[in-house]
Amino acid sequence: MAFTPEQARQDFPILNRELPNGRSLVYLDNAATTQKPQQVIDAMSNYYETINSNVHRAVHTLASEATDAYEGARNNIADWFGIGDGHLIFTSGTTEAINLAAYAWGRHNLVAGDVVVLTEMEHHSDIVPWQMLAQEREVEIRWIPLQVETSSLDMEVFAASLEGVKLVGCIHTSNVLGIRNPIEEVIRLAHSVGARVIIDAAQAAPHDRLNFAESGADMVAVSAHKMCGPTGIGALMVNAETFDEMQPFLGGGDMIREVFLDHSTYQEGVHRFEAGTPKIAEAIGWGAAIDWLGQWVMSEIHSHTLGLARHTAAGLKEIEGMRIFGNHGNGDGAVVSFLHDKLHSEDMAHMLDAHGIAVRTGHHCAQPLLRKLGIVSTNRVSFYLYNTMAEADFFLTTVKDLVARFT
Amino acid sequence: MVYERGSWPIQLQQIIDDFSEIEDSMEMIEMLFEYAEQIDELPMSEWSEDTKVHGCQSEAHVLPIQNEDGTFHLQGASDAKLVQGMMAITAIAVEGLLPSEVVTFSPDYTSEMGLLNALTPSRANGFRNMFRKVVMAAQEMGE
Repeated sequence: MAFTPEQARQDFPILNRELPNGRSLVYLDNAATTQKPQQVIDAMSNYYETINSNVHRAVHTLASEATDAYEGARNNIADWFGIGDGHLIFTSGTTEAINLAAYAWGRHNLVAGDVVVLTEMEHHSDIVPWQMLAQEREVEIRWIPLQVETSSLDMEVFAASLEGVKLVGCIHTSNVLGIRNPIEEVIRLAHSVGARVIIDAAQAAPHDRLNFAESGADMVAVSAHKMCGPTGIGALMVNAETFDEMQPFLGGGDMIREVFLDHSTYQEGVHRFEAGTPKIAEAIGWGAAIDWLGQWVMSEIHSHTLGLARHTAAGLKEIEGMRIFGNHGNGDGAVVSFLHDKLHSEDMAHMLDAHGIAVRTGHHCAQPLLRKLGIVSTNRVSFYLYNTMAEADFFLTTVKDLVARFT
Repeated sequence: MVYERGSWPIQLQQIIDDFSEIEDSMEMIEMLFEYAEQIDELPMSEWSEDTKVHGCQSEAHVLPIQNEDGTFHLQGASDAKLVQGMMAITAIAVEGLLPSEVVTFSPDYTSEMGLLNALTPSRANGFRNMFRKVVMAAQEMGE
């Protein structure tokens, strides 16, 4: 179906709500979380209304139906991401996915003196788990610097820092700058020295038809809620070779084969990494989100949202005292971070909220990146498929009015 | 004397009444901006770890001091105007009270003012931390 934002937004009941101050909602905080179409809400309600049951173990009808729905959703999601002969492990989101990588792979494959390379663009969720591991195992962390002038990674420094590297972590698309990093080159260089690569694709997956097998990445972390799915679920995708190097992290129900008093044996496949009752309704909701997104051509969604971001960045640039971050080039995400030199980001966000406009404010869980930029916070608008040019224009007009009125 | 709903100092009750009448959130923001200008501003050169209010997205600092007559006075500053406006109202609320009276002060005046949801203490750790700093300073002065 040809994509139009007007058609897409009809499926999102929340976009019609009126705020307590009588304003209509203009939701521009999609990099934090996207809204959910009715089809996702219905799929989750339908699960609870008709087949709610624990999966895998019981033999009764509901358990069988719930297991089919749950594992069917996994297959659907795995197909969407082109999993190939890799594995898709459900987690609570990108953060838990990277922590799983650090515990299940990192603690069994990294020893004192090994090197992990990260970029200065990383979200905290791709920094802190590796720092915790580094402290525990005396692993060295090296950083691919951000070049502030061009908002790009210094790949020359990376190429010169590969000795001893066992793992490279790289954010696919920056949640602050919208920059789409050269992950193909990152993966190529990392693999040239036998290092594994984990890609944080939380911001990329909603905008790009990511193909895990073709990307060549060893591990990719994603969240459902940034692509119209429910909160509380995401995945770590792992290729077959890396999967064989991982050991279970969380122990408990569902991940075991047999438990004895003195030891336990574990399930084969992804279930050995999914202890406890899984996120059943959430997986089904995510599968429904994939089905819903599948009716559109992702490249058309990307063109639309990037167009809104470029239009917004250009409009903000016209305002005196406004600093805009990122380049909004082809392939970049649809986020525009900005900061006015006389209006604090927190004041700006409150004033936009008073107009019904939801934007993000703060360090966006990327303090090292902001420190490199010499700032402590920005405002950030981030677009998704249901946002319209009229909303972008309303946002721009409002910002211009506020700057004129309060500076 | 306990300062709580129904027994606020008269200068604070006036502010609460003014805010309660506002229906438009932008008008409320404008008023907070105006109050921000009224605070006895703590110069940036005096900002320190001791004065810093933690939990704010913005840089916020308060310095509780005693006037010569022993009553309470609050200096403060923030790079965010709305935060400084809230500080200014707090400063007005406790101005001239004895430290022993400040410790009885309830932070509930913000909800009575009908502040924007995002500025209410239930959402804003920063306000709670600032208020706690003020009360703790008053306790120390009273000891």
